[in-house]
Amino acid sequence: MTLHTLNASPASAAFADCLAMLAAGDVLLLLGDGVYAALAGTGARAQLDACGARLCLLREDAAAAGILARVAGAEVIDIDGFVALSEQFPRQLAWY
Amino acid sequence: MIYSLLVLSSPASGQCAMTAARFARAALARGHTVGRIFFLDAGVTNGAAATVLPQDETDRLQPWVELAERHGVELILCIASALRYGMLDETEAGRYEKPAATIHPAFTVSGLGQLVDAATSADRLVTFGG
Amino acid sequence: MADGKRLLLLIRHSPYGSSLARASLDVALAAAAFDRPLSLLFTGDGVLQLLPEQDSEALGVRNPGRLLASLPLYDIEQVYVDAAAAARYRLDLDAAPVAALALGREEIRALIDRHDHLLGF
Repeated sequence: MTLHTLNASPASAAFADCLAMLAAGDVLLLLGDGVYAALAGTGARAQLDACGARLCLLREDAAAAGILARVAGAEVIDIDGFVALSEQFPRQLAWY
Repeated sequence: MIYSLLVLSSPASGQCAMTAARFARAALARGHTVGRIFFLDAGVTNGAAATVLPQDETDRLQPWVELAERHGVELILCIASALRYGMLDETEAGRYEKPAATIHPAFTVSGLGQLVDAATSADRLVTFGG
Repeated sequence: MADGKRLLLLIRHSPYGSSLARASLDVALAAAAFDRPLSLLFTGDGVLQLLPEQDSEALGVRNPGRLLASLPLYDIEQVYVDAAAAARYRLDLDAAPVAALALGREEIRALIDRHDHLLGF
């Protein structure tokens, strides 16, 4: 069980590498440019939905990006929720 | 729980460095201990004392200073990265005969051993990169 | 209680494209110097550090290949490489500057689960 954080757009190598490492039971938190991977109806989002990991994104970054209304089905969390995730998951891996 | 943070992100690109500062404050608010925040690579520029931002942007140094001064969080800049980025405290500025210290006094410079120590002694290690 | 956490370092950056590659190896050597258990995994573009015959003299920067060759002298527990990432670049692991055990996807996930903390560079 790992908390993955992704701070890179879906076009990046970091996204592909992160996707390859995600397993069911993991959680992926999107932040910074990573939030665009949650855009509903995109290929990146379909890949994330298919990998079986729980999908979250950071509210402030999603709001700045203007995508809060376009990420249906993903969990939008605030910084307190980020800390809560780190409490539940013993290890974190940052992709960027 | 005891948290250690590793910050690789520069405050000049993206919001990740400020997310790290907010994470530290939120962890403290939830009753955790944030013992040490280690800054490596471009992350060392978070310690720049003389950064000036446009008036419509919020200050990116103050959140760190508050963590150190109000909550006793250790802010450590990797010395090798710091020198590479021209980030010098008084001692290093003197040693290398540079005109001025460039690091805010809330930060200290030290070796990677401090990161290894922080990583192996904490319950949680959270990295902020990119 | 929080003592002696096992560290896994994931090296994901190419040797000369960023300063992160260099930082990651420095962290590995620091952990060894402080006698802390540490494993290394080369994955993504990080596998490019394992190319033999690197010559960075004209660039005036440190050659990570040479540093890697010295890893066995330190107490690095084990060096692993992502088999899929190595295959993507057709790397000949037998010629790599340091002996690395090739792992498949599931083995890498198990490796991650065996460690307490992860450092991704």
